Amino acid sequence: MSHQYQAIGWNRQKRVYDVVVLAAVMLYIALFIGLGALLFPYATAETLIIRAAGSAAFLLLHVVLCIGPLCRLDSRFLPLLYNRRHLGVVTFLLGAVHGIFAIIQFHSLGDKDPLVSLLTSNENFRSLPDFPFQQLGFLALLILFLMAATSHDFWLRNLTPPIWKTLHMLVYVAYALLIGHVTLGLLQSETSPVLAVVTGAGLVTVLSLHLAAGSRERTVDLKELNPAGKGFVDACSVESIPEKCAAVVSVSGERVAIFKFDGKISAISNVCRHQNGPLGEGKIIDGCVTCPWHGYQYLPETGGSPPPFTEKVSTFQTQIVDGRVWIDPKPKAPGTRVEPSKISVSGVSS
Amino acid sequence: MIQPLRNTHRRIFLALALLLPALFLSGIAFRHTWPVSAKSKSPTLGSVPPGATR
Repeated sequence: MSHQYQAIGWNRQKRVYDVVVLAAVMLYIALFIGLGALLFPYATAETLIIRAAGSAAFLLLHVVLCIGPLCRLDSRFLPLLYNRRHLGVVTFLLGAVHGIFAIIQFHSLGDKDPLVSLLTSNENFRSLPDFPFQQLGFLALLILFLMAATSHDFWLRNLTPPIWKTLHMLVYVAYALLIGHVTLGLLQSETSPVLAVVTGAGLVTVLSLHLAAGSRERTVDLKELNPAGKGFVDACSVESIPEKCAAVVSVSGERVAIFKFDGKISAISNVCRHQNGPLGEGKIIDGCVTCPWHGYQYLPETGGSPPPFTEKVSTFQTQIVDGRVWIDPKPKAPGTRVEPSKISVSGVSS
Repeated sequence: MIQPLRNTHRRIFLALALLLPALFLSGIAFRHTWPVSAKSKSPTLGSVPPGATR
């Protein structure tokens, strides 16, 4: 939400996040190569680099994939989401190091172009144990490159959030390709069961978290609201909404965040214009609804960002009747001012 | 706007929850059985050296 262009809007949290990630990655690689050289004297330096970078990328991809559902299930994980795109870029860079060293080691000494050799040296597509697993890794790396290259807000803004989100769902294809790459590659020659168990545990963790979070989201989506009078629907009780927070309900197939603040009720779209973040899981800070993902802000009465910012979300007409919040299912145009319903002692809005 | 994406996401993971474990378990089940060095009588059939790559 910047009115003045900056390639990256650095702040203290982003710097701390990146320093911790880079330190952890460097430590992991140093330990992997150091211990690997001690425990496996047959392994060459190139092999250790290939394995260190590849395993770090694979591990980091698991972390990236777990952050989303963890945040859906428990808001304490939200700080991890803040700079997740940087984790994705680091994952790609580690994968690129792995790929480049692997191509140099295994495909650069023959007559063929290394890339041609990578794509044609093994065509046993019908054999599971001899499957050309390197092609799977190469395809996954291409997807990770595409995602890293479009991770900046410039692309998010130009592609629009729905298209950008759809594009970045390719990460699941990349993950599937990498499970194939590891299972049909490394695990075929590995005699110890440890790596297979760790890979299986990672797979189960990612799948379980996403299925659990998806199931929870579906419960909210499927909850039908009872019709009230005048075309409104009965959304929730006023008391159920914590002060300066929201209740999230599904109306006409989309989610609406109903905020309570300073004795008033306002309802806006639950979808942040930045990255479709869940506004209803944010709080009202300095009079503005603040997205829990990246801090984009909106005025609850208008759905518009405070000047000089220009983002707008839809607003909804509300009423308070007998301590219940009624909501008009028809959204107002983004940025349309709607007077908040005042919470009165009698339980009827003024 | 967002609900179709959520539905797509849910369908993707339902598919992955079936496909990936099947791929993983098949890959493990049908992998090459490497000779074990302690039982091997031939020096050329030793086990894959630790740290070696395919």
